[in-house]
Amino acid sequence: MKGILFAFVAGACITLQGVANARISQDMGTWQAAAVTQLTGFIIALIILLFVRDGSRQGFRKVNPLYLIGGALGAPIIFSEVTAIQNIGVTLTISALLIAQLFLTFLIDSNGWFGVLKKRMSLPQFIGIGMMIAGVVIMKL
Amino acid sequence: MLAGLILALFAGSLVSLQNIFNNRVNERTGSWSTTTLVLGMGFIASFGMSLAVEGKGTFAFHNMQPWYWISGLIGVGVVICLVQATKLLGATFAISIVMTSQLGFALLFDSMGWIGLEKVPFTLNQLIGVFVIVGGILVFKLGGKQEQQETASH
Repeated sequence: MKGILFAFVAGACITLQGVANARISQDMGTWQAAAVTQLTGFIIALIILLFVRDGSRQGFRKVNPLYLIGGALGAPIIFSEVTAIQNIGVTLTISALLIAQLFLTFLIDSNGWFGVLKKRMSLPQFIGIGMMIAGVVIMKL
Repeated sequence: MLAGLILALFAGSLVSLQNIFNNRVNERTGSWSTTTLVLGMGFIASFGMSLAVEGKGTFAFHNMQPWYWISGLIGVGVVICLVQATKLLGATFAISIVMTSQLGFALLFDSMGWIGLEKVPFTLNQLIGVFVIVGGILVFKLGGKQEQQETASH
């Protein structure tokens, strides 16, 4: 039950984040808004890190540098999401975003790219993606 | 309309990539080390883009309301909740609920026009669409076996 509540709040916060970024972008540049929210997020995370000190710093050296700079993707993600929300609203944006997210994860998992465990996708995964696309079409009918 | 959809699809693809990259970092360090690094990188990239696009405007804060500064807190809340939910429920079940909740709140924010975004009128089609998408997420995540074919080759 507690897990379900955490997952529920996480989802609410992810959407809220997109909405807040879109709102802030009405008053300043979208890149500027992305910089501000990520800077405060970074500072808070850093403070928490100083208290919990999880993981060793040596760990970073064992990670492929490509993965270490993955966070930079946050910039184009926020920019695209905010622009999409301003154009087509929150519901359509999140719907399309989730479809692309699941679909690419599905491609990566079935091909074992980036060293992920290769998974065989079966019929339910195709039906699931098909249903999601159908849902977006219904919204726009 | 089309431009908005394409941007949303682009964002979703990048989220998928970022999740995989972050997991790779997480395996070797910890969730707060990872979060700090990810947000730091995101800040540097956004700041750089802002400098390139807005120039000196990057440092213009006259339209800034105080709560903008604390909006970054939301992202930290996301990490705390995601880590706990995944620990308690396992990734598949947790992500199914997270995505369902994301969509539900998206519809709520659109219909209510909270936080000062333009209100998108609620329609029955939107509600049905959300239910069908959630059904799709559940079928995708929980339906059948996503068998592991082989052990990782890295």
